[in-house]
Amino acid sequence: MRKGFTRKFEPLRVLSDSQVETIHKRTLEVLAEVGCKFESVRALELLKKNGCRIDLEQRLAYFPPDLVESSIRMCPSSFLVKSRDPKDNLLIGGNTLYFMSSLGARLSDIETGMVRVPTMEENNQAIFISDALDSIDLYSGYTPYFEIEGVEPVMLCSTSLAMRIRNSTKITRGTQPTDTFIWETLIAQAAGQELIGNMEAAAPLSYPEDAINAAYTYVEAGFPVYIAAGSVMGGTAPVTVAGSTISNNAELLAAIVFIQCIRPGTGIIANDCVFPMNMESGDLFFCSLGSSLHQMAFNQIWHDLYRIPTNNTGSAFPNSKKADYQSAYEKTHVAMASALSGANMIVFHGGVTAELSYNPVLAIIDDDIAMTIGKTIEGFEVSEDTMAVDIIKDVGTVPGTFLNKTHTREWWKKEYFLPKSADRLSYPEWLNSGHKGAIDKARERMEHILATHKVKPLSSDTDRELDKILNDARKYYRDKGLL
Amino acid sequence: MADSIQSLKDVVLDFDIDRAEEVARNAIDSGTDPLLAAAALTDAIRQVGDAFGKGDLFLPDLVCASEVLKKAFPIVNDAIEKKGATQESLGKVVIGTVFGDIHSIGKGMVSTLLYAAGFKVIDLGINVKGEDFLKAVKDENANVLAMSALLTTTAMEQKKVIEGLKEAGIRDRVKVVVGGSPINQEFADSIGADGYGSTAPEGVKVVKRLLGIKD
Repeated sequence: MRKGFTRKFEPLRVLSDSQVETIHKRTLEVLAEVGCKFESVRALELLKKNGCRIDLEQRLAYFPPDLVESSIRMCPSSFLVKSRDPKDNLLIGGNTLYFMSSLGARLSDIETGMVRVPTMEENNQAIFISDALDSIDLYSGYTPYFEIEGVEPVMLCSTSLAMRIRNSTKITRGTQPTDTFIWETLIAQAAGQELIGNMEAAAPLSYPEDAINAAYTYVEAGFPVYIAAGSVMGGTAPVTVAGSTISNNAELLAAIVFIQCIRPGTGIIANDCVFPMNMESGDLFFCSLGSSLHQMAFNQIWHDLYRIPTNNTGSAFPNSKKADYQSAYEKTHVAMASALSGANMIVFHGGVTAELSYNPVLAIIDDDIAMTIGKTIEGFEVSEDTMAVDIIKDVGTVPGTFLNKTHTREWWKKEYFLPKSADRLSYPEWLNSGHKGAIDKARERMEHILATHKVKPLSSDTDRELDKILNDARKYYRDKGLL
Repeated sequence: MADSIQSLKDVVLDFDIDRAEEVARNAIDSGTDPLLAAAALTDAIRQVGDAFGKGDLFLPDLVCASEVLKKAFPIVNDAIEKKGATQESLGKVVIGTVFGDIHSIGKGMVSTLLYAAGFKVIDLGINVKGEDFLKAVKDENANVLAMSALLTTTAMEQKKVIEGLKEAGIRDRVKVVVGGSPINQEFADSIGADGYGSTAPEGVKVVKRLLGIKD
C-alpha cells in the first residue's frame, strides 16, 4: 500500500464551529428549496423513491435535510482502492495525504511556453516518469495529455486510461464524457484494478446525463466515486468564498444522496474544484487566493463535519506559461494551504499554462515541492532522543560541535528532505559544474528514470484484452456516428 | 429630450439593471426619437466595451451593462417598429454554444462585445443543435455564424454545422467564426472555418476583418 504522507497535527481551521454549522444549514436550505437538476428520469425516480420531491418536467429533485444528512453518514470516512500491484493500493481518508498528477491538453515547452500535440510515445513516456516519482500516488482522468496525435477525441479517455494502466501500476481516476465510463470500467476490470469513478456537476446545481450514467456504471462496478462541481466564483457560483462554499456543497451533497441511493456505503472523494473567474478575461483564475481560501473552508467542513475524504484541484495549474518563479509560487502556496487544512488528495504535478499543457520535466520539479509539502505535514518528533538534552550538555559551549555526534548522523536524514532537482551548490561549485538550474537537473533525472525505472508489465492476455475493449469502443462510437 | 438621451446613457454606464426599463419607458413616453434612444444605448455599451478592452472595466461590468441593454432595448425596439423605422447595424451575427456544450460565459462575452461594436446579434444560447444554427442563418440572412465550444468532445460539433451549411447550399453566404478553450487556428482551419479568435475582443476583430470593416 502507498503510504502517502500522514498529517501528524490538527488541521488548520479557518472557520469557527458555528460558521461551519451555519454553512451546512444554509446548504440544506438550498437543497430543499432550489433543489438540483438531474438530467435523467431514471435518477429522478430513484431519488423520489428515497424521499426527494421531484419535478419531472423541470428535471428537478428537492432534498429533505434528513435524507441529506443520513446520506452523508453512509459515506465511509476511509476506504481502500486496489491496484493491479498491491504496493500501489491506496487507503483514502483520515489523516493521509496523497498527491495526484495534474494534466494538460498538450505538451508544453516549459522554457518557451510553446505547446504542441504529443505523440503516443511521449504520452506513454510521461506516464512512465510519473510512475517513478515517489510523491505521485495516483492519476487524474485524461492524464497526462488529453490530446494525443492520432487519437480521435471521442477515443481519448479510454485510450489514455489503457496507456496509464500499461505504463504504471498506480491508481487512476475515470472520466465521464460521451459514455467513456463504459470502456474505462471494462479496461480497469480487465487489468484487475479498481478505478476511482467520476461524477461531475455542471454548476450551478445541475448534473448532465453523462455524469449520472457514469455514476451508475462506476458504482455498480463497486468503485468509489470522485465527485466534483467545477464552479466558477462569479460565474456559476456566488463570487464570495462563503457563497460559493454553499453552492458547491449543495452540488456535491446532491451527488452524495444520489450515489448512496444507488449503493449505500459507496466510497466518496469530494473534490473542491472551485476557481474565481478572471474578471479581465472570463478565464478561470487558477492557483489564486480565492481557490486557496475556498479549499481551506471546504477541507474543514468535509473533514470535521461530514468526515468524507477530500481532494483539492486548486494547485493543479499555474497561470504562468513556463516553469518559472510564478509557476512555483502559485502552485506551492495553494497546495501548502490544502495540505495544512487537511486535504486527503491534492492535484499537483506537471500542469502548466492554465489547463492547456503538461510537461514531465515540470512534474519532476513538482515532485520535490510535493515531497516538501508532505514532509511539512508530517511534522517532527518530540522525544527524549530528539530533544537531545544529553547531547547539548555533552557538547557544552564553544568550541563544542554537534557535527561529530552519532545523533547528528542518524537524525539529519530523518528530519531533512533533500530535493533531487533543486540547485544547492555553492557559487564556485555551480560555476564549475555547468551553471545548472532546477530544470537542467530535472532533465537529468528524467533521463535517469527513463534508463533505469521498471514497471510491472501486463500479461500478454490482459494486453490483448485491452486492445479488444478499445476496438469495441471504436465500433460503438462509429455506430453512433461519432467516429 | 437631451435629458432622456443622457439618462439612457447613464443607466448603462451606471450598470443600473433595476432602472433600465423605467428609464427606457420614460424616454419613449416623453417623445424621444426611438432611433436616437437606440443610438444612445449603443453608444454607452460601446464605451463600456472599449473600457473593458483597455482593462479599465471588468467582466461583471460588461455583463451588467449588457443586462441593462437586454431590458431597455425591447422597449426602444418596439417604438422603432411602431414608427416603421429600421436600425442600422454593421451586420448580422448568429451566435451560440454548440450542441452538447452548456458553457455560456465566453460566448456571452463575444455576444456583448459584438453588440457593443454595432452588430445585430442573434444569440441562440447554449446547447444549440446544428439544425437550429442553420435555420437561424437562413431566417436572419446572417452575415456571420459564430460558434463556441469549451469541450474537446464538442469541438467537432462546429465541423458538423459547417458541413450542414455546405449541404444546405448556404456556406458561401455566411462567414463562420469559431472559438472556445480547445479551439486553435489549426483546428479552425481543419474544419473549414473562416476565422478564429482566442479571446472575445479578438473574436470581434476577426468578424470585422472578415466583413471588411475597419477597426
